[in-house]
Amino acid sequence: MFNDLKVSFFLACKSIQRGNKGTSILTVLIISLIFVNLIFFPSVVEGVEETLIRQSIEHVCGNVVIEPKDDQRYIDNADSIEKKINKLPGVVGTSSRYMTGATFFYNNKLKSGSVHSIDPSDEEVVTKFHSGLIAGEYLGKENTNEILLGIDITGKEDEVTGDSDLGGVQVGDKIDVTFSNGIIRKYRVKGIFDISSININRYAFITEKEMESVLGVENQASEILVKLSQRGTEEEYRTNFVELGISEDVKTWEEKTAGKIGSLVNSFSLLTVISTVISLIMAVVVIFIIIYINTVNKKRQIGILKAIGIEQNVIINSYVIQVLFYCFCGIAVGLLLFGIITSYLSVNPIRFPLGYVEPMVEQVLILQNIISLIVFSLIAGFIPAWRTANENILKAIWG
Amino acid sequence: MITITNLTRTYVMGTVHVHALKGISLKINKGEFISIMGASGSGKSTLLHQLGLLDIPTQGEILIDGKDVSKLSEKERSLFRLTQLGYVFQEYAIISELTALENVYLPMLMTGRKKQDCINTGIDILNKVGLGDRLDHLQHELSGGQQQRVAVARALVNKPKILFADEPCANLDSSSSRQILELFKKLNKELKQTIVMVTHEDWHMEYSDRVIHLKDGLI
Ligand SMILES: Nc1ncnc2c1ncn2[C@@H]1O[C@H](COP(=O)(O)OP(=O)(O)OP(=O)(O)O)[C@@H](O)[C@H]1O
Ligand SMILES: [Mg+2]
Repeated sequence: MFNDLKVSFFLACKSIQRGNKGTSILTVLIISLIFVNLIFFPSVVEGVEETLIRQSIEHVCGNVVIEPKDDQRYIDNADSIEKKINKLPGVVGTSSRYMTGATFFYNNKLKSGSVHSIDPSDEEVVTKFHSGLIAGEYLGKENTNEILLGIDITGKEDEVTGDSDLGGVQVGDKIDVTFSNGIIRKYRVKGIFDISSININRYAFITEKEMESVLGVENQASEILVKLSQRGTEEEYRTNFVELGISEDVKTWEEKTAGKIGSLVNSFSLLTVISTVISLIMAVVVIFIIIYINTVNKKRQIGILKAIGIEQNVIINSYVIQVLFYCFCGIAVGLLLFGIITSYLSVNPIRFPLGYVEPMVEQVLILQNIISLIVFSLIAGFIPAWRTANENILKAIWG
Repeated sequence: MITITNLTRTYVMGTVHVHALKGISLKINKGEFISIMGASGSGKSTLLHQLGLLDIPTQGEILIDGKDVSKLSEKERSLFRLTQLGYVFQEYAIISELTALENVYLPMLMTGRKKQDCINTGIDILNKVGLGDRLDHLQHELSGGQQQRVAVARALVNKPKILFADEPCANLDSSSSRQILELFKKLNKELKQTIVMVTHEDWHMEYSDRVIHLKDGLI
């Protein structure tokens, strides 16, 4: 058995060593491309998922959101709740917000959206939308007559977008805002932000102080965002919050996005399966053809090997070993190529409508694909080798 | 050494039956050098294929060293060919991806011997057939006669009980042919090697001990 393998190995080595180098290189290259194809798409999908999650956490809801109980409009005693939460280890910060509907007017143009209030310094700790400012400045705590607008509200001056925005409001312009409770106020645009992320560009932000005066409330909140130092610990904190006596509705980012990310990713996963299956079929076909041509060309040699007493299995295995060799080389080159592609994309991420995405490489995924590629290649190589080696000796030699 | 009784081989091609061997009985003794002669199509190659376990007879019995080889499984036939028989084909039949030396020692490697022993034996044999200076040559770097001598060396590496050769000189000029035949003669005389050779050149006969004439599948 061991000796048989030794002979198979001997034949395989000589065949690789003395065979056509061009064919070998081409084979390795094709396998490497198939391998890249196999892992690239899933890793982009993974990257999209990661980006969506990160954006939800960074821009929309933090790791955990506290919301009013079902029958209530606001969370009461927001300050004391925030204080309690902030004392917990692992909590990076909290930010309480009010939210209300509003209509924006500028230059005879009208746009409805929603206004959120923030404590500017708290907000900076919890979310990252301040980093998306493309003009002007961030809010100060005491600003009462200034507002930050998302790019979807302001619109761009040089872009004709019809009635879907205010048609190019600039920093320093004054706009009128009608809140849902009927109060109308004039604000100076202090900053404009553009975050390529879901929904945020449709928001406007004013200070908490200003919002409380508009709504006529105090020490309440529509939501409190909580940022944690580590993702994945949300559930623990939910129980911690209950233990602290917080009876409000506590939602993790997962619940808050209500499976939207999950269902998006699921619809991708069908595509992933399809692309994986196609890649594997390609691998099978390519390797089958290569080994088939190879064995057909060497039919006579295979016959002679059998005639001089080399066992059929030894001959088949020598081809299987060659396939393994090409497969390993192809995977190695594929990993190298993939490494080059991903390191390029991490510097120049792909711009999706939802933001920049870089492929995420999961080791399990790579391992899985290495194994399936090897298994499929072995089968694809074995069949033609077996067919040829199984032929009658005289037929193989004399056709 | 070899006892053949009533050996037939019929090829079935659709509705046509070609009777290549029509019941041959024959005894070959140990140490003999036998020539099989006959017209083209008389069944010489077919006979040799049956004896060399490359084909399965339609009927009849072949005993080699008292062993009924028709009872062997495919695997056992392969092992029998490897360890007991040597076969030289009419066309040069050496493996193109292997050097002369590798070609020669491959069957020995297959028997499980240490590689270095195989290499040493291979070199010895190649020296004997006069190719000591062509060890690392590949097929396309060898002449026809040299290739045929490599094939002979390969057939001998496992010290076979019987050496079969099917028109080993058919593609060679007369001086190369002479070299091969001299080699056979020497092996037969010095090592008592049993040899069964197919040929259709009359002058080859003088090298062998006995000539068997085949005509239309009969002796
Ligand atoms: N695979 C085959 N299928 C059908 N008929 C065959 C096959 N092999 C040989 N024959 C027939 O069997 C007969 C004997 O063939 P064989 O090859 O043994 O002749 P030979 O004596 O070796 O001839 P040559 O001197 O030309 O080599 C021929 O009539 C040939 O046509
Ligand atoms: Mg013949």
